[in-house]
Amino acid sequence: MDYEIKKAWGVLLRLFHWVYAITIIVLLVTGYYIYRPWFGLYQGGASFSMALSRYIHFVAGYAFMGAIVVRIYLFFFGNRQERFLDSVPVTPRNIKNLFGTVIYYLYITDRHEERLGHNALFMLFYIITLFLALVQTLTGLYMLFPENLSLQSMGLSLFGTQQEARLIHHFIMWYFIIFTMTHVYITIWNDIEMPEGLISSIFNGKKFKTKKA
Amino acid sequence: MSRNLHEADIDIGLTRRGFLKGCAIAAAALGLSDAMIPRLAEAAASAQRPPVVWLHFQECTGCTEALLRASHPDIGRLILSLISLDYHETVMAAAGKQAEDALEGTVKRYEGKFVCVVEGGIPTKDGGVYCKIGGRTAMDILKGVAPKAGAIIAIGTCATFGGIQAAMPNPTGAVGVRDLIHDRPIINISGCPPNPISFLGTVLNYLTFKRLPPTDQLGRPLFAYGRKIHDQCERRAHFDDGRYVERFGDEGHMNGYCLYKVGCKGPETFSNCPAVRFNDVEVWPVLAGHGCVGCTEPGFWDTMTPFYERLPGVKLPVGKGIVQGADSAGKKILAITAAAIGIHAAVGAGKKMAKKKDGRKTGQKTEETR
Ligand code: SF4
Repeated sequence: MDYEIKKAWGVLLRLFHWVYAITIIVLLVTGYYIYRPWFGLYQGGASFSMALSRYIHFVAGYAFMGAIVVRIYLFFFGNRQERFLDSVPVTPRNIKNLFGTVIYYLYITDRHEERLGHNALFMLFYIITLFLALVQTLTGLYMLFPENLSLQSMGLSLFGTQQEARLIHHFIMWYFIIFTMTHVYITIWNDIEMPEGLISSIFNGKKFKTKKA
Repeated sequence: MSRNLHEADIDIGLTRRGFLKGCAIAAAALGLSDAMIPRLAEAAASAQRPPVVWLHFQECTGCTEALLRASHPDIGRLILSLISLDYHETVMAAAGKQAEDALEGTVKRYEGKFVCVVEGGIPTKDGGVYCKIGGRTAMDILKGVAPKAGAIIAIGTCATFGGIQAAMPNPTGAVGVRDLIHDRPIINISGCPPNPISFLGTVLNYLTFKRLPPTDQLGRPLFAYGRKIHDQCERRAHFDDGRYVERFGDEGHMNGYCLYKVGCKGPETFSNCPAVRFNDVEVWPVLAGHGCVGCTEPGFWDTMTPFYERLPGVKLPVGKGIVQGADSAGKKILAITAAAIGIHAAVGAGKKMAKKKDGRKTGQKTEETR
């Protein structure tokens, strides 16, 4: 069987992916520390551990926000695979792909539609994740700037008090932990099942596709 | 003492020194420079004492108590000498019909000018029958008095956000003043109880500058509720440095470390407690070794409990039962996901193996299905 190399992901998308991935890990670790500082130091150790965690968390938060903006930009101005309609399950073609992917993942069938871009199931979770990422930044900003009155009215109308926003922020943290885990697993699984080179494609942007005769 | 309160020119024992001291404390609380103290004092001394009607509804009278029983009496006295307290159920001498007449008289005589102070939540369920005074429901009294007031000051968390009786499931349908009255300016002095100085500052601000102080989006004056407790706390250095009380009474607790891990709600509560402190003896909860419980926030009884945990103990329906606590739910979902991944991978591996056996028999089938 012959394969050809096809360009799937632009450099901006790959950059987005890695900033997003790294900031999520950093945010999860520092965020969990802020929530429940699992190591503390008694008098004398000037570690500044909480202040530092908060600092890293906030810086990573801004990078995370930047990544979200880039992804939304790519939905409109990215290459074909990166655009909104290519894989979000709103068109008949993508909805069909969504169910096809589900039964493929459940080992019910071996047949599936081969695509250069994302499959629709992935894109569904991608959209949910992006939406929750937005909620995460809004609750985060609400808590970060407690003295800002416009953020206060935004926060009060969308989430409630600071404490309620904190709870939402915390719940979504769990979503991100689970999403990260599942995402890594599904990617490795796909890489094993299909010879397209999925994992390396997020580094070099290229996939191997069967040559059409 | 109570007999004298509504008779304007009877001395209630406030010395000049105490008076100036009270003004200075209020100026500091308001964030004004000391150059403003004479202006405050002047306004306080010469002001037309605004008639005040003080309504009590579902409450414990703790706010009034906090105000009157300040260990250093100047604040309480100053407040009482600044306003003409025409109706206040706890301290007034009149009772029964006399009292009701005083209320009615003030409302009529000073329509649009008097200040209405409300203490306590207002029950709204079943026509508001759960709180009645003189045969009238709290809702009815408030609707009769508040729209005619020049300004309304809701004092205490009950009057501002419903307070403890509004806690889930809120059997009496208790709400705060701002949920019922919309066409009058309302200042919310929340807290359980609020610091008398926040009330004094609001009144002095009103007398000196002829307007109510600027507020946040919940109607709380910014001079008192503009910043989080956590950002003014004296234990903050321990917080930043990662030194926490792990359990009450442990070594960290004895050393005065931060109370974050035993549920201090300072990081989500807006109030001036660490700066102004209580009862003129320089104390407030965190200084005494107990975390903040977040009493100035809306719905604090629901969102700040359990008081010794970081986050509310939400009940989540997961699977068949109810799982207590956000984290145990999160961990369970995580475990289920991990298990699902494991099973999925095992099935995949099993299938591969089965296929390989098939493949040996039927040739290159695996490749073709792709
Ligand atoms: S004791 Fe409470 S308010 Fe003070 S620093 Fe710790 S968490 Fe913040």
